[in-house]
Amino acid sequence: MKLLEYEAKAIFAEQGIPVPRGAVIRSPEELPGRIADLPPEFVLKAQVDVGGRGKAGGILMADRTSGETIAGELFGKLIKGVPVREILIEERLAITHEYYASIAVDRSSKKALILFTDSGGVDIETLAKENPDAIRKASLPLLLNQIPQFMLRDLLGSAPKELGPVIQNLYRVFISRDALLAEINPLVTTPGGPFAADAKLIIDDNALNRQGITQNRDLTEREREAEKHGFSYVELAGSIGVIGNGAGLTMATLDLIEYYQGKAANFLDVGGGADQERVMHAVRLVAADPSVKVIVVNLLGGITRCDDVARGIISAGISQPVIVRLAGTNEEEGRKILDGSGYRMMDSMEEAVQAAVEAVQ
Amino acid sequence: MIYGDRNTGIIVTGATGKQGAFHIALINEYARQVGGRGVVAGVSPGKGGQDVAGVPVCNSIRDALREHDASAAIVFVPAFAAGDSIMEAADAGLSLVVAITEHIPVHDSMRAISYARLNDCAVIGPNCPGLLSPGEVKMGIMPVHLSSRGHIGVISRSGTLTYEIVDQLTRAGLGQSTIVGIGGDPVIGQTFSDVLRRFEDDDQTRAVVLIGEVGGSLEEEGARSTDLPIAAYIAGISAPPEKRMGHAGAIIEGGEGDARSKIERLKAMEVPVASRPSDIPAIIKKLI
Repeated sequence: MKLLEYEAKAIFAEQGIPVPRGAVIRSPEELPGRIADLPPEFVLKAQVDVGGRGKAGGILMADRTSGETIAGELFGKLIKGVPVREILIEERLAITHEYYASIAVDRSSKKALILFTDSGGVDIETLAKENPDAIRKASLPLLLNQIPQFMLRDLLGSAPKELGPVIQNLYRVFISRDALLAEINPLVTTPGGPFAADAKLIIDDNALNRQGITQNRDLTEREREAEKHGFSYVELAGSIGVIGNGAGLTMATLDLIEYYQGKAANFLDVGGGADQERVMHAVRLVAADPSVKVIVVNLLGGITRCDDVARGIISAGISQPVIVRLAGTNEEEGRKILDGSGYRMMDSMEEAVQAAVEAVQ
Repeated sequence: MIYGDRNTGIIVTGATGKQGAFHIALINEYARQVGGRGVVAGVSPGKGGQDVAGVPVCNSIRDALREHDASAAIVFVPAFAAGDSIMEAADAGLSLVVAITEHIPVHDSMRAISYARLNDCAVIGPNCPGLLSPGEVKMGIMPVHLSSRGHIGVISRSGTLTYEIVDQLTRAGLGQSTIVGIGGDPVIGQTFSDVLRRFEDDDQTRAVVLIGEVGGSLEEEGARSTDLPIAAYIAGISAPPEKRMGHAGAIIEGGEGDARSKIERLKAMEVPVASRPSDIPAIIKKLI
C-alpha cells in the first residue's frame, strides 16, 4: 500500500530523517490556524498519489495573505484526475543542491537495492535509461541491520558526508516498516542541513497486519469486498467476466479473451479450495458489475469438486449467461448439473473463451 | 531427477494444520505408488508425540532428524511464522526447503532465503505448488494424475496454469522429467536460472518449458543463462500496469516487467514463445 507524502514524512521523521516543518489541512479555512509556526512564505502540496504532481499543478507557492485563497483553488482541482482532499503546508527550503536516495526490494538479487544520485529531483526511471552511470547502487542482504560504512562511502562518492546518516536512517525506515520502496526525491541540502523534501513509502501488502494497517486504501470498494472472501480481484474495462482458480490460469484466461479479440471485465482468482459457497460469492461479485454481459468460469484442480462448483454457480442465481470449463473430480456429475440448468460446460479453456467472446458480439 | 528422488526423506512443517495434514496423506499415497520414502516426519512445535496421516510428529526439525533420515522440508506453516520455518530447516542442515505458504511478508522471505544460502540450503518458493518428478517423488501440492514421466522439464511461477500445461504436454505424449513451481512472490529462492542449471546436469531432461508472468525479469535472466532448448509462455499480456494480478509478484511496476517486452526479449534470444498455453506441445515437438 502506498502512503501519502505527509504520512511517509511522519515515519521518516520518527527514524531521524530531517523533514521540513509543516502541517496538513483538509479545508482552506484550516490554513490560517496552522501557519503560525511557519515562515511567511510556504508551499502548498496536494496529497495525491500521482507521478509528476508538480508539473500537473499540485504544488503551489503561497504566503500569509494569499494562502487561504490558493489553498481553496488547490482543493478545487483535479490533479491528473485525482481530487485533492488533503494539502500539506510546508516551509520553503533554501535548497543548495538536490539528490536522490531510495531503497527497494530487488527481485533479482533478493536483497535491498540502494540507489543514490546527485542528479536529484528527476524521474529516476528516465535517468536510469538516459544516464545510468549517474546512479550509484549497492545491494544489502536483509540479514544486516545497518548499511556498512564502506557501502555508504561508495554510494555517496563526492556528495556531502552529512547525507550518510539520512541514507542510514532510510534503511531503518525500510526495515522497520516492511517497505517495498522507501524513497527521498529530492533529498536536498540547505544551509540548515539536509532535508527529505519529498517522501515516498510503499508498504508490503502481506505485512499490513503487523504494521497496524487495517485497510488497504489502494483497493477499490469491489476489490476490498473480494478480499474479504479471499479472492484476488482486479477491475478492467471490458464486458466478459472472468473467474479462475490460480493467478496464472486466470491471467491466461484473460489473455485468451484478448487473443480471440474480446475484452475482459475483470480478473477474479478464487484461490484454493473452490467450494460451492466460494464459487457462489465469486459469481455474484462478478455479476454485480453492470458492464458484465457474460461470465467465463475456468477452474482446474486435482481436488476441486466439479459438482460442488456447479451447484455454486447455479445457486448464485444471476441473470447473465455463464460458460464453464471445469476439470477435476466428479467432472461428469458437474456437467449433468449444469446442463440440466441451461448452463454451458466446455471441454477446454479455448472453447469456453471463444464461446464467451461470441456471446458478447 | 533434480532436487530429489524416491529415496529423499521429507519433513513437513506445519504438519498438524489442515493443509499440512491433507498433503502429507497425498504425498505419501504417491510415495507408496512409486516405491518412494515420502514424508518421514511432521513438525509442529508443542505437538510432538502425536501422529498425522500415519506420520510421527516432532516438536522441531532437529528433533525429527534425531530419529528420522531426511534431506528436504516442505513448509506449510502460516505466513507469519513461515520465514522462521525456512530458517529452521536450513539451520538443521537440510539441503532443500519447499515453501508452499502464501502471503509471507517479503522481508521475511528475503531474510530466510539469505540465511538458507549461508547454510547451502536451496529454497523453492514461497507461494508455490512445489515440485513433482513423475514416477519418483512429489514434494508439494501438485495433482499427480495430469502428469506422466518423460523428458520435458517444466519451470513455472504459477500453480494451476502449470497443471493446465502439464496436462496438454501429457495429452500430446510429452512426459515430464521434473515440474518445478518456483512461486508467485516477488522474491523467491530458486529462480528460472537456478532450476535451468539443475536441468542442464539432468540426463533425463531434453527440453524445458518456461512458464512466466508479468513482473520482474527472471524469465529473461533464465533464458539468457542456459543452452538448453526452451519454449516459453508468459501470462498477463492483458494485465494493466500497477495492478497486482493475484500473485504478489505479478505486477508491472515503473513501466517494467510487462508481458509484451518480456516476450520481445525472449524472442530476441530466439526462444519460441507460445501465444496460447495449448500451442506449447507443438513448439516443444519442434525443439526435440
